[in-house]
Amino acid sequence: MSAAVEGEVRVFAEYERDFTEEADVVVVGSGPCGAVVAHELTARGKRVVLLEEGPPFTPQDFELDGALSMTRMMREAGLRTTRGTIIPTMQTIALGGGSLVNSAICVRPPDFVFEGWEEYAELEGTRRSDLDPHYDAVEAFLGIALTPDELQGQRNLLFRDGCDALGIESEPIARNVRGCRGSGECFTGCRARAKQSMDISYVPAAIKAGARVLTSVQVQEVLSDGRRATGVRGQVVEPFSGRRSHRFRIDAKAVVLAAGCMATPVLLQKSGNLANGSGQVGRNLQFHPGIAVLGIFPEKVDPGFGATQGYQSLAFLREGYKLETLWAPAAILAVRFPGFGHDLKKRLAQVPYAANWDAIATCHRSLGTVRARRGASLDPILTWNFDPEDAQVLGGALYQIARIFFAAGAKTILPGVHGVPDEMHSLEEADVLRTRRYAASDFVTASNHAFCTTRMHGDPAKGVVDPRGRAHEMDGLFLVDTGIFPRCTSVNPMLTGMALAHRSAQAVADEL
Amino acid sequence: MPSAWGLSAGLFAATLLGWAVWRVFGGFPHAKRPGLVLAARELAFLAAAADATYPEGGSDLPSGTQAGIPAYADRYVAAVPRSVGILMRLLFFLVEHATLVFSAPGRGGRRRFSSLSPEQQGAVLEGWRTSSLFPRRLVFSSLRAILTMGFFSDPVVLRALHLGAKQIDSPIVEADLLYPAIGAHPRTIAYEREDLVARSGVPLAADAPLHPDHAEQMQ
Ligand SMILES: Cc1cc2nc3c(=O)[nH]c(=O)nc-3n(C[C@H](O)[C@H](O)[C@H](O)COP(=O)(O)OP(=O)(O)OC[C@H]3O[C@@H](n4cnc5c(N)ncnc54)[C@H](O)[C@@H]3O)c2cc1C
Ligand code: SF4
Repeated sequence: MSAAVEGEVRVFAEYERDFTEEADVVVVGSGPCGAVVAHELTARGKRVVLLEEGPPFTPQDFELDGALSMTRMMREAGLRTTRGTIIPTMQTIALGGGSLVNSAICVRPPDFVFEGWEEYAELEGTRRSDLDPHYDAVEAFLGIALTPDELQGQRNLLFRDGCDALGIESEPIARNVRGCRGSGECFTGCRARAKQSMDISYVPAAIKAGARVLTSVQVQEVLSDGRRATGVRGQVVEPFSGRRSHRFRIDAKAVVLAAGCMATPVLLQKSGNLANGSGQVGRNLQFHPGIAVLGIFPEKVDPGFGATQGYQSLAFLREGYKLETLWAPAAILAVRFPGFGHDLKKRLAQVPYAANWDAIATCHRSLGTVRARRGASLDPILTWNFDPEDAQVLGGALYQIARIFFAAGAKTILPGVHGVPDEMHSLEEADVLRTRRYAASDFVTASNHAFCTTRMHGDPAKGVVDPRGRAHEMDGLFLVDTGIFPRCTSVNPMLTGMALAHRSAQAVADEL
Repeated sequence: MPSAWGLSAGLFAATLLGWAVWRVFGGFPHAKRPGLVLAARELAFLAAAADATYPEGGSDLPSGTQAGIPAYADRYVAAVPRSVGILMRLLFFLVEHATLVFSAPGRGGRRRFSSLSPEQQGAVLEGWRTSSLFPRRLVFSSLRAILTMGFFSDPVVLRALHLGAKQIDSPIVEADLLYPAIGAHPRTIAYEREDLVARSGVPLAADAPLHPDHAEQMQ
């Protein structure tokens, strides 16, 4: 079968046989980065096919239970972890990628982050001022705005109060939402349809402009002819079971990989180690690990209400961490309550009085790898080692969170770290968080911000792509997901991924 | 012909093996409801671990078994990829049987976890939790994570903690004209452009009605 209907979306139930299609550009992955590129290229009149392995989720497909939701929306049922230092990391399998489950936090990193990039990776044209027009365009498209007070809920406002009391700068978080109702359930999918995840924002706009969107299709190989990428091939996969069926091939003048920083290097490795003369494909994996602290207040907080993440402080970015408020399904957060038995039940009874705040640390020294498995699976083998100095930074962050909690009036904090008391009732008691020498395994940490596995570098011998995502060694091959970051953004990565992708779209168009 | 010594050594070995097999696999209560994937012995272990982690009494919250943790864990293991499910079942097996080798404190401590007294079960869990060995702590936190997820799936628990999801009538947006429910054909999309509904943007009220899955069911 050969189809060339412009502007449509195809779902699993529609595939009946093997097929081949043609396009100017094939984009692999509909997460924030892929969706932006697909839209921008379609808007420039290019024939675009956007391929996504996951299905589109409608509100009736959302599962309220956090853990069961993960089994449907996340790769490896949400239980993907690294070897070396064990850290859980989640990647989504759905139309819209990570934007469907994330907290919609949109932050531009400050100048010094980009100056660091330039110096570290010998780059030109990646200053904040170079990217600002692209940030502007994405922010305008998605209606990104600061979270208003009436949607914050106590859990977020108490953070502001604590920061104010200590003279620490803090601010409401800017988010890609329209009509948020403060349900605090961004993680399991926005039933209010307020979150401007890619499946309800950039992807429909791309379709309207003429893009073809094929869902439930797994790309298994990038096709090439000598130095030129010529398309992709793969198979249809059934939602949730991942059972493979019909084969497909898309021939295109340009291939854009936006499968995410875990999947893109695996695809390149599985395609005959494509674009890897530098040996950097799958190396330099960096996380932005997070750790959360629970605080118990004397008055009710009712933490279930409010923007999932509504307030933040960038005051400690140069020290290596960012502070935020956080909510997630209770079943997942409660895992952080220590102990068991009657003690645990007593603590859980305090949930209505609890707030949960977190720190995410930059961790430039902690590196890992992504490797393809033997056989047909595209799930990566991940390795990562948490550097002791980076672990120490996280300890410092814990102490700052403790300070803010006590300044906001918390009576108890639960730091959730091995080797210190389960509960602390004063800042004096919490001092140990600052002075302790930590081992990586002391923390219950996790990271859904991951980057650098196909990093950009000015020197083709040291990186995979140039600052516009063009593969150094191949023609017609672009990489545009967070894998191309040369280093961690120090803030939440989605917006930067989209801004870079917005810029790359022009480079792709220029090459056609 | 085997010698008399060989015969009795063989018999002894077979008895020993039989005893070991019984200690590991035998003597479990019958589960009232067969699991989706878990065997009766695994459900019995989960019931014991659930109540050791969330015992009855002490607060308004139900016990682990009252909250339906074993059935939830069964559903969860059925939902995760097979290889992960196998690891989870190995985890259950490990905690259930570790006390056959490393005895729990007190009399009769060399029994399966599910056969120990509540005090002994508590001591065993505390041993896993506070071990200086990271892998042992990881066993505890992994098991407790599964039990806790089950505990928080219970609407009674969610309501008691004011965490029940509110009823939200999803507005119909442009995307709803494009995608059918997962598994369905696009011809099942019921909406037209005229059905589009503006997003409300009104903050949820504290006393807004709960989602039917979390609301108290009328008898
Ligand atoms: C729970 C959670 C909360 C987060 N919160 C925030 C936040 O608030 N703010 C923020 O900035 N960041 C947040 N992040 C991180 C952010 O979502 C990611 O950095 C972002 O989604 C990365 O975008 P991407 O396009 O690079 O990749 P992804 O979003 O991972 O998209 C890649 C897409 O490619 C598809 N794909 C992969 N392999 C194939 C294949 N072989 N064939 C076809 N398709 C394939 C995937 O299914 C996926 O849809 C969060 C992440 C998670 C998981
Ligand atoms: S807080 Fe609730 S309503 Fe607001 S964007 Fe997140 S899921 Fe949607």
